[in-house]
Amino acid sequence: MSMNRRRFFALSGASVTAAFLAACDSQGPDRAQSLLALAERKNESAGRFLFRHTSIDRVSRGAVLAGSAFPAYYVSDNVPVWDPASRGPWTLEVGGLVDRPLRLSLDDVLRMPRTTQRVNHFCVEGWNAVADWTGTRLSELAKLAGVRSTAQYVDFASFDDGYHESWDLASAMHPQTLIAYGMDGRMLGPDHGAPARVHSPVKLGYKNTKYLVRVTFMAERNGGYWSDQGYEWYGGT
Amino acid sequence: MATRHHWIVRVTHWVNAVALTIMVTSGLRIFNAYPAFARKGQSFCCYPFAGKAIPAWLTFGGWLAGARHWHFAAMWVLVINGLIYLGFIYLHGEWRDLVPRRGQLRDAWEMTRFYLFVRPDHPLQGKHNALQRGAYFTLPIFAALAVISGIAIWKPVELGWLTALLGGYVWARYWHFLAMLAIVVLSFVHIFMVFAVDPYSLRSITTGGYNEAKSPEARNARPLWWKRPAVEHAAAPSAPEIE
Repeated sequence: MSMNRRRFFALSGASVTAAFLAACDSQGPDRAQSLLALAERKNESAGRFLFRHTSIDRVSRGAVLAGSAFPAYYVSDNVPVWDPASRGPWTLEVGGLVDRPLRLSLDDVLRMPRTTQRVNHFCVEGWNAVADWTGTRLSELAKLAGVRSTAQYVDFASFDDGYHESWDLASAMHPQTLIAYGMDGRMLGPDHGAPARVHSPVKLGYKNTKYLVRVTFMAERNGGYWSDQGYEWYGGT
Repeated sequence: MATRHHWIVRVTHWVNAVALTIMVTSGLRIFNAYPAFARKGQSFCCYPFAGKAIPAWLTFGGWLAGARHWHFAAMWVLVINGLIYLGFIYLHGEWRDLVPRRGQLRDAWEMTRFYLFVRPDHPLQGKHNALQRGAYFTLPIFAALAVISGIAIWKPVELGWLTALLGGYVWARYWHFLAMLAIVVLSFVHIFMVFAVDPYSLRSITTGGYNEAKSPEARNARPLWWKRPAVEHAAAPSAPEIE
């Protein structure tokens, strides 16, 4: 079959279009995945390079509290509620690479230095929501437990069906990273992670573990619920 | 035949075409996770299609995390490639063919009149006509806006000053979206015009070769108004006379 120039152009156009349509809504070729993983590592380095404890999230003037419009997610089938009758009183366990492992009651946490801040919540989906969060800084908890210098990562584990996410220590020590037990001036409700949760504007929402029960300081990262399924582990803002 | 585009321009053009396609389609997949701009609990003035997802066939990445990985990988290709292109045309002088010059608006008006059959003859031009110059000069500006607003969305706390400069996170997302739309519109007009008025330029942006005798200016060609290049017929050798 003869192939003149016109035919060649038509054929190349058609094959480019076909390749494009085949690619639609797909995850792309498997061979690209290692390149994407490389880019993710580079982007984590960029994120860590840009990270400053002095970079403070400020809510823009005129921003309104999301209130009841603040979305609530959990991975269990139903809203996870801590049931003291079956599980005993809720406690927050602090362990791993610390000099003084702790088991704190909610009252213990409430007695720690208190911070209230109006900040953004940045969701990986693209929305943001503003709320007043009350709690104690994670850095206070770290001080109390005596974190060892070998700790580089922190894991935040919940009673929501095994949900957890691990963080780099620097982000966890950011002054706006809280163990929060209050939201908009009230005690945290079950939708938003009662009795206590992690909240920080410096990480995307999925890194902010709700229904918190355990804080573990570690030398290595140990992934997380969404990180293990393909979302960026770093998730910094 | 003269080389119309330096090889650096040709390579960066096609790398850009691929990177831009990945950025737009994966960006639309990310957008579909929250196809709106309003902060939760508030409304947003300026987007009438809130809540309506972009059709899946226009998206790439498969799911939110997949699209994010493509978006955050291809952004480096787009930015580095763009910087190579801009650095090259700055150092090599090609920027002179693109930046607005005196009489740009009048020339663009004359070009428009020609395309609308008001003016019979193609205006004189250099490498590009005035409308092209406008488009090729504007595109990098929108691209820069897309990159800057993209960085502001990526690191709204670490680079909070940049996000604030753009009016906050919600507006930064909006500028990012509008810059994307402008780039897409310019690109589609660009592709249409290649086929409608100067298909010979496909060769010049690929291998570099371009026959000036086939340029739209030489053919007096308008979009979709096909003009074949004049073919010079050599006079047939006449038979010798019989003595």
